[in-house]
Order: sequence, then structure tokens, then C-alpha cells
Amino acid sequence: MKRGWVLAAHAWLVYIFLYAPIGILVVFSFNRGRQTAVWEGGTLEWYRSLAANDLIQGAVRNSLIVGIVSTVAATIIGTLVALALGRYEFRGTGFTRNLLYLPMIIPEIVLGAALVTFFGVAAMRLSLWTVVIAHIVFSISYVAIVVRARLSGFDRSLEEAALDLGARPLQTFWRVTLPLIAPGIVAGALLAFTISIDDYVITSFVAGVGATTLPLQIYSMLKIGVTPEVNAVSTLLLGVTVVLIVIAQRLQQAPGQRGEAS
Amino acid sequence: MAGEQRKSGRLAYGLVLPTWLTLGIFFLLPLTILFVISFGQRATYGGLKPIEDLGLYLSSGKFLANYARSLHPIYLQIFWRSLWMAVVTTGLCLVISYPVAYYIAVAAPARRRNLLLGLVVVPFWTSFLIRTYAWMFILRTEGLINHVLLSTGLTSRPLELLYNNFSVLLGLVYGELPFMILPLYASLEKLDLSLLEASADLGAPRRATFWRVTMPMTMPGVVAGIILVFVPSLGQFIVSDLLGGAKTILAGNLIQNQFAVARNKPFGSAVAFELTAAVLALLFLYALYTKRKGQDVLL
Amino acid sequence: MTGSRRAIAAALAAAILGGWGCRRGEETPYPGPGEKKLNLYIWSEYLPKEVIEEFTRRTGIEIRYDLYDSNEPVLEKLQSGVAAYDLVVPSDYMVRILIQLKLLRPLEKARLKNLGNLDPRFLDKEFDPKNGYSLPYVWGTTGYGYDRQKARRPLESWTPLFDPANRGEILMLDDMRECFAVALKSLGHSLNSTDPAVLKQAADLLKKQKPLVKTYNSGDYENILASGDVEYAHGYNGQLAKLVAKDPSRFAYVLPKEGATIWMDSVCIPARARNVESIYAFLDYILEPEVNARIVNGISYASANVPARPFIRPEILNDPAIYPSEAALARCEFIEDIGDATTILDEYWTEIKAQ
Repeated sequence: MKRGWVLAAHAWLVYIFLYAPIGILVVFSFNRGRQTAVWEGGTLEWYRSLAANDLIQGAVRNSLIVGIVSTVAATIIGTLVALALGRYEFRGTGFTRNLLYLPMIIPEIVLGAALVTFFGVAAMRLSLWTVVIAHIVFSISYVAIVVRARLSGFDRSLEEAALDLGARPLQTFWRVTLPLIAPGIVAGALLAFTISIDDYVITSFVAGVGATTLPLQIYSMLKIGVTPEVNAVSTLLLGVTVVLIVIAQRLQQAPGQRGEAS
Repeated sequence: MAGEQRKSGRLAYGLVLPTWLTLGIFFLLPLTILFVISFGQRATYGGLKPIEDLGLYLSSGKFLANYARSLHPIYLQIFWRSLWMAVVTTGLCLVISYPVAYYIAVAAPARRRNLLLGLVVVPFWTSFLIRTYAWMFILRTEGLINHVLLSTGLTSRPLELLYNNFSVLLGLVYGELPFMILPLYASLEKLDLSLLEASADLGAPRRATFWRVTMPMTMPGVVAGIILVFVPSLGQFIVSDLLGGAKTILAGNLIQNQFAVARNKPFGSAVAFELTAAVLALLFLYALYTKRKGQDVLL
Repeated sequence: MTGSRRAIAAALAAAILGGWGCRRGEETPYPGPGEKKLNLYIWSEYLPKEVIEEFTRRTGIEIRYDLYDSNEPVLEKLQSGVAAYDLVVPSDYMVRILIQLKLLRPLEKARLKNLGNLDPRFLDKEFDPKNGYSLPYVWGTTGYGYDRQKARRPLESWTPLFDPANRGEILMLDDMRECFAVALKSLGHSLNSTDPAVLKQAADLLKKQKPLVKTYNSGDYENILASGDVEYAHGYNGQLAKLVAKDPSRFAYVLPKEGATIWMDSVCIPARARNVESIYAFLDYILEPEVNARIVNGISYASANVPARPFIRPEILNDPAIYPSEAALARCEFIEDIGDATTILDEYWTEIKAQ
């Protein structure tokens, strides 16, 4: 029992460590003063000036477009390849695996430089779409890993049962397999989206005019001096995220017949 | 993963084709171009110096100039320091994360598990840049910690918490913690608790149970976590720029410097590929490890 | 089925061919007038919002802009050939590089009616003879700001930045050329020296200085000075001048007597710019006296516009940090590209940082 107490305490200390800067962030987004570590009274002015700040709004919009499009694409591509690696024997298994590991190993800055050089050589104008392409490239691997993990704990007997009962392979896939690995796909998509929303390095290389995403915008704002507006944006983003995660959780735990919850 | 039946089939090729195409064109190709550039020379204003005589350039060994340059002591020192930082970061992450993952997977009530896991992931959703800046806010001379320490009289002079190795390590560990907790949790969740009970029943002290039953059984998670933390740590540069006051040069800073400031793409690419090669060597060892175990852990 | 499939194929073909045609057209300067849009690539904090809005109100031209905080991304983006900016505002030495690499479009001065407003002292510089490609936007110096209460007397030289007594109280710009400029000037040399012996001396000085430096920062050095984290902050005059203006009893800016960097940021047109009409409309706009004054008032950096002076706030006009005396200016040098010596400097810089 004593051991259990220590364990829990350690865990909670770590959680505090994880959330300390975030807490500060949120609290000081309501601070009247600009810079100091001193609380100068509550105010909503930073949130109000956010509403008037179209640089940030444009950046948020860009980040969402890039995030959603690249996540959808990467999730589809990543799920397909995870299925292939998890189910089939084919020549090129090793190659595919290594190919998928590489984007996670290559330092981001190398990938960014390589891509911008490539776009130049291919005479592809930098734009929001070059950012999307870059994000798809580095997201596929993460989706594949997560879905693959889900596949490995998979109980094949359900599929076999469906086939035995006369369902065609495609039907089986749509109505048995897919729903069962859905949590893995969703988890992979969430991971891809998270990585995309927060990417600074690679995006800074390949973004075109007016393709400034939120991290780029934040970085340039941070460079000139932290304004609480940045805090306000982060707090809002955080709030939206938490809501999304809670909703995703509820959806997963909904009708009990839908299989395991996680 | 043991006992999975694998069908053979052409369907597989259709499934991997999108990946091959996307990564082939937008990943392998750009990297190849960069790799070729790493054998070039910087022109006077940045960019590439045109090579007059390719044959001579190759045979004289000049094309290896950048790689040779990267072996100078000054750069070796940078690699060594980056390696050291990454090792310490990974070690700290492992030590800090294991108990947390254990707590979530084993000790905490089952209904709280998803919530606790979610709480680990949520910080991810705020910008890494901002969280790093928040740490500066907390650690600086007139920052939160010093403010509290001074006003409560615990110290008489402000502590130097920022712009040094301490803050850099803190930033690195902070950023990588979730990447260690999650794989560890995945491994621990599959742990068969009855084995632990059996060990205890047979009279093993708790410590022995941990080191001889729990640890070995969660080794895949440990290894995955180590890789997921060690590799990005090697290439980091933002943390040492912001929290380190740009006073330390790590491998990531060196590469960034070459591309952004010195405008020496060839040399920067050479260093970048060396970094990549080092990591690939590591992965190769990992591959040997999983071959012994009989299957790949991640894919 | 077949009808829509053919339609899709046709659309695809048109897109590819259209794209191809686009690419061909980009080999030579875009001949057309372009659209009523303007894509700017500019330093953060260099263009007050109201100046942009006024322009759009008057002309109906929509401005989109991206920001940078160092010159290198400008080179990177223009070299890649695929960034679509109409105007960039690089610093002096970068203008020269861009010209050498043929990345800029020559200025058609006949299209600008307000050209005469520019102060001839800032024209025809070495990095762009006869201003074939660029027009001065703002200029400034790189000195340092300091805490008057800690220094206890007005400072005039670079020496406090190298004084071991000030250990841990110094901030330097995270900029190789600027730091070497400080070292070279302290040693009495030109900041564009390529003499290996001289460069080594400067590098040794900077290596000795490193343990005294608390942080290298090119972004918000004035805030770090303001928060008391350091007592001496190497930095560009505009931001430091703003800080001094807010609290002159506590802070001061000094342009040391050994000499310092004078820099100038100029507007240039990238070779592949397309919205030519809009570009010249904008250039004429920012050359107008009142508009230019509004820019200066907003960003606290000096401009090269003569008729704008009566409209500039007196506190700015009379601030020696922003508009230094002739004598002070005479001691300053522009940073010039030193060609292959950059690699030597870069190695030293790496050594310094790696200590």
C-alpha cells in the first residue's frame, strides 16, 4: 500500500510538470499586463484583439485546411499500407517497412530543405498545397504504426465467422474488419492531425505566399516579443482540442455492441 | 502478433502503391537530390558551384570534401555533445515515464485509464513553441519560480535557471515525455498481471519481480520508447535556441545554421546525412533485436 | 459515365498544360500588368497596419504579406524560384547577392513620380550602384542598449561588452556578421575585413567573450533588457530606441565610438514578380511624404525620405538613436558580402558557439 502511494504521487507530479506551462499560458492570457510574471488583474482584451487580428485568423484557417486535408490523405494511405503489412506476405515487405521508418528518422530540417529544393527543381510554386504535400509525407508513417498496432491485437475469428456465414470478402472488410480497427484509424488520424497542427520546421521551408500556418505565425509573433494574444490563441486551441477529444471518447464508448472501446 | 496468418496476394501491391508513390516522389526523390548536393561545393553567394570536370572531381576525391570537413574535431565535438544530450534526455524520460505508465496501466482504476492517457496527450495540442516560451517565462530571472522564491524569502538571489544546460535538458525531456509514456503504456497494458501475482506467490521480493518479470515483458515498449525519444532529440535545435540562449550548438543547430545562415547547402546536407546514417545504424541494431524476437514491434 | 470521365480528363489536361504554360512564361520578366494584388515579403514589424489599409482603400489593391526575421529566407525563397512575391525588403548585403544571382527585376524609375523625395546620401550605394534594383526603405545602426542604473555613467565604447566584470549580464545578437562586426570594430579594423589574421583575432575575442554572454538573441533583445535579465543588450537601434523612449531614466542606447554597423533595408522587385502595376503603385505610395512619415512614426526606424521629415514626430526626429549625428554616421560601415571568406567566419562562429 505504501508503494502504491508513492507511485500515484509520482504520476501526479509528472502531470503537474506537463501542465505547468500550459496552466501559466492559460492564466496569463487573462492578465492585464503584457510581460511580467506579476498578475495585474483579469481582462478579456487579448481575446478581443484576437477577434480583430486577421493575421492569426488567416493562420488558423490555413492550419485547419492543411491539417484536415493532409490527415485524411495520410490516414487513408497509412491505413492501406498497415493492412498490407499486417495481413499479407509480399515481396517488398522489408522495403516498405524501412520506407515508412525513414520519415520519422530524417531530421525535420533535412526534409524541409530537401522538399523546397525539390519543388524548385520541379518548378512547383510554393503554396498551401506544397505544405499539404509535405505534411502528408511525414504523417503516413505515424498512421501506419498506430493502425498496425491495432491490427496486431485483432481477433481474426470474427472475420472468419463472417466469411463462413457466406459474406463476401469486401463485405466482410466493410462491415466487420473496418469497424473493429476503426479506433486505431481514429487514433492514427488524431496523431497525424496533432503533428500537422504543430509543425513549424518543415512548414517554414515549403510555405508559399499567404500560406502562413499557425506555428509560423506564432513563431514570428514570439520573435518580436510575447504578447498575451499568443496565449489567448493557444488557450482557445486547447479548449477546442479538449472538447474534440471528449466527444471522440464519448463516441467510442457509445453503443456497446460496437466492439471494444479502445 | 504471433500466429498471424498472412495471405499472399496481389491485393497487397495495390494497398502499398499509394505509399510507394507518395513517399517515392515526395520523399525519396527530394532526399536523393539533397544527397547528390552533399557532394557539391558552395558557390560564392550560396547555391552550388558548377563543376567543370566531373571526372577529375570524382577521381581526385574532392567530392568527399564536405564529409572530410565534418570530421574535424570541432564538429566531432558537436556530434558528441548532441549524442550525450540525447542519451541523457532518453534516460531521464525513461526513468520518469515508466512509473507513470505503470500507474496508468496497472495501478489506476480501469475506468480512469482513458482519461489519464488523454491527459498525457492533450499538451500536444498546444503549440510546442508556445510551451517552450512558457518555460522561459517560468524560469527567467524575473520569472515565476524566482518570483515565488524571492518573495517567500526562500532564496536571497535569483537562481540561474535559464539559458544553460539545465533548461535545455528540461525543455528536451518535457517535449519528449509523451513519446515515452505512450509506448510504455501500450506494453504495460498487455502485461499479464497473473504472472506478477505468481511471482509474488513464489516468494520473490517486489524488486525481483519487477526486474525479472515486468521489465523483460515490457521490453518491446521500452525499446520503442527509447527510439521514439532518442531519434528526434538528436535533431533538435529549437529548444537549444530558445531555452539554451543559442549558446550551445547541437547537431540540429549546426545543420540549421548551414542551411539558413552560412548558406552552405552541400555541407549542411553532408552533416544531415551523417546524422541520418548514425540513426539508421541504430535502427539496424533494433532490427536485429526484433529478428531475435521474431517480429517487428512497430510495423 | 463516359461523358463525365472525358470531362475530367479534359480538365486534367488543361490544368497540366496550363501549368506548363505558366512555367514557360516565368523565364522572362512578366510582361503583363498583373492583377490588383500585391504579395509582400517583409521584416516583421516593418509595415504599420494602417498604412496597408489606407493603400487598399485608395487603390483597391489587396495586399498579402509574409514576414521574416532574417535575410536568409529571402534568398532561399527567391532562389527556389517558386515563391510568388512581388516585393521583398532585404538588407544591403543581401541586395547585392540577389543582384549577382540575377534574382531581381530592374527598376523602371520612369514609372515613379515620387522618386525625387529620396535623400541622395542614401542612394547609389556600393551594393546597388545607381539603384538599378532597389530603393531605400529604412536604415539604422547596430549598437547596444544598457541599464543606466547599473552602468552609473554614460557609456561610449564596446568595451563593457567584453568586460569580465559584466559576466552573465550581456546579450549579443545571434548573428554571425553582427557579432564579428563588434569584435572587428573593437580591434580597430573594418567589419568587412577578409584578412585571415585579423579574422582570427576577432574570433579569439568573441571566444573569450562567450562565457560572459547570457544569451544570443536576435528577436526580442529589448524585452530581455527590459526585464532585467541582462544589463547590456547588443541590438538594432529601432527596437532599443522604443525601449529607451518608454523609460529614458533607466535605459540608454549607444552607438560606440569605435564604430558600428549601419544597415539599410531596401525594397526590391523579384525577377519573377507578376503584379507589376500594383508594385509601382505601392512604391509611389510609400514614397509619399506623409505616408513615409507614418511608417517611420510607427516603427521607429529612420527613412531616407526628405519631404517626410516635417511629418515625423519630433521625439523620433531628434532621437540620436534613430537619427544619429553626421559624425556618428561617419564611423559606421555597411556590411558587405565577403564571398568565400564567409566559410571561414562560419567555422569560427561554429567554434565560438560550440565552446
